[in-house]
Amino acid sequence: MPIDVIIGAWVATGLTLFIFSFLYQDNPLFKLAENLYVGVSVGYTIVKTYDTVVVQLVWKPIVENGEWALLIPVAIGALMLTRYVPKAAWLSRYAFAFIVGVGSGLAIPRTISSFILKQIEDTVRPLLVMVPGEGLTFTMDLLNPASSLNTIIILIGVSSVLFYFFFSVEHTGPGKVVARTGIMFLMIAFGAAFGYTVMARMSLLIGRLTDLIEFSDSSYGRPSLWLLGLTILTLVVMARRARIKPEEE
Amino acid sequence: MTFAERMLKIDRRIIFLVIGLCTLLPLLYPVGLPIKISPEVRGVYDYIESLPEGSVFLLSLDFDPASKPELYPQSISLLRHAFKKNLRVIAMTLWVSGTGMADQVVTQVAREMGKESGKDYVFLGWSPGGTAVIINMGQDLYGAFPADYNGRPTKGMPVLQGIVNLRDVNYAISLGAGNPGVEAWYVFGKDKYKFELAGGCTGVMAPGLYPLLRSGQINGLIGGLRGAAEYETLLGRKGKAIAGMDAQSATHLAIIVLVIICNVFYFSLRRQSAQQSRSGA
Repeated sequence: MPIDVIIGAWVATGLTLFIFSFLYQDNPLFKLAENLYVGVSVGYTIVKTYDTVVVQLVWKPIVENGEWALLIPVAIGALMLTRYVPKAAWLSRYAFAFIVGVGSGLAIPRTISSFILKQIEDTVRPLLVMVPGEGLTFTMDLLNPASSLNTIIILIGVSSVLFYFFFSVEHTGPGKVVARTGIMFLMIAFGAAFGYTVMARMSLLIGRLTDLIEFSDSSYGRPSLWLLGLTILTLVVMARRARIKPEEE
Repeated sequence: MTFAERMLKIDRRIIFLVIGLCTLLPLLYPVGLPIKISPEVRGVYDYIESLPEGSVFLLSLDFDPASKPELYPQSISLLRHAFKKNLRVIAMTLWVSGTGMADQVVTQVAREMGKESGKDYVFLGWSPGGTAVIINMGQDLYGAFPADYNGRPTKGMPVLQGIVNLRDVNYAISLGAGNPGVEAWYVFGKDKYKFELAGGCTGVMAPGLYPLLRSGQINGLIGGLRGAAEYETLLGRKGKAIAGMDAQSATHLAIIVLVIICNVFYFSLRRQSAQQSRSGA
């Protein structure tokens, strides 16, 4: 087994167990892993961004290929840094104006087209579908998202939820029934989202435990077992200290 | 204090322990519960199956190590499938923090399948701009990525022969853990440059992407570890996702049981207090 893989296994195992130790109580090992995570991810992002943007996309094309036009975006980007000089901070507004203008121009029409128009189109589908050999048919299959029955359910769901968020009219009488229907659809949606969230969180736990099981192998030097022992020992020592302190006081 | 009150005030660390054991035991002693293939995952598999040899397949690994357990198995399965079908694979990422991991998975699967970088596949790495990168690629792929991850010029690479922009891509899949991800690839990519698109995502994101699936904006969706396990089943190659499915089912069962027990205790307490207040009155 290469030494870098073994070191990687020990580091990954240690950090996983240190983070998991928070489930028992807050402790220095958790703090160490937490701060390392923040530091490493920020450091990694800075290094990758510097290498890709400054070196590969700016410095090399200008110096090696003579692409001087790149100095224009570089100058606009550099205006951002004027925020650190109070007297020249107003210059950064030009850079912001450029970003907001281009960003909005790109995003607004595309988002309207992709989400609002396409989704409205999908919400108001025809109730009867043409089935080859059968002609116009009303399909009742609940498991088929494109069935006629589901089209009605979606239409009722969208309309009632939209009505629920329509606050200009008091939700009384028939309006109350529609708003209540909207709440029911919202609750089902929240339930589905929460179910998926639980599944996702459990998947993360499964991923870490799978690695811990793999790293308990002797070829890695059994880091899972050694570091689990270390983590438990730390928690025991901490619990004892916490018990001794109040007695001294 | 009644039994119900005691149970509702139970130390939450006991619940953590129960969930931990429900996850660990099936991983150590797998049962092999059956995995049913959903139409959304089959949609992705069938489309890749239908692509002729040499088609251009773009895989955007838009996630970082925080989502590795769910999206890493998906990327392994998709790359294996694409290489098995002898597709020309273009891999990239829109997440700077996932660059190293994306390179690792692409290189690992390519080596396993005997594929050569530059000839059979290319890993373009990361380029700044998020969604703007997609638009840039739609206009000129070489403008967005003048060099690949290893610094080799992309122009003239055999794997990119005949490809100018995103319109030349036959099938694109974004494995997204957030933004930019699947939605960005639809909004700024497929909707504008008209290529077929599918998505892979974390479980948290899946409910939000189903409307895109129903409307046909994406032709398939691989959701979370479960989706990865389904894809592994379709490929006939057991991986980490299938291995984790027993544990997933066991933890879900444990959570359902805990929810039911909590509700039983909660309602019994409510009934008790109602009876007490009635007898007091």
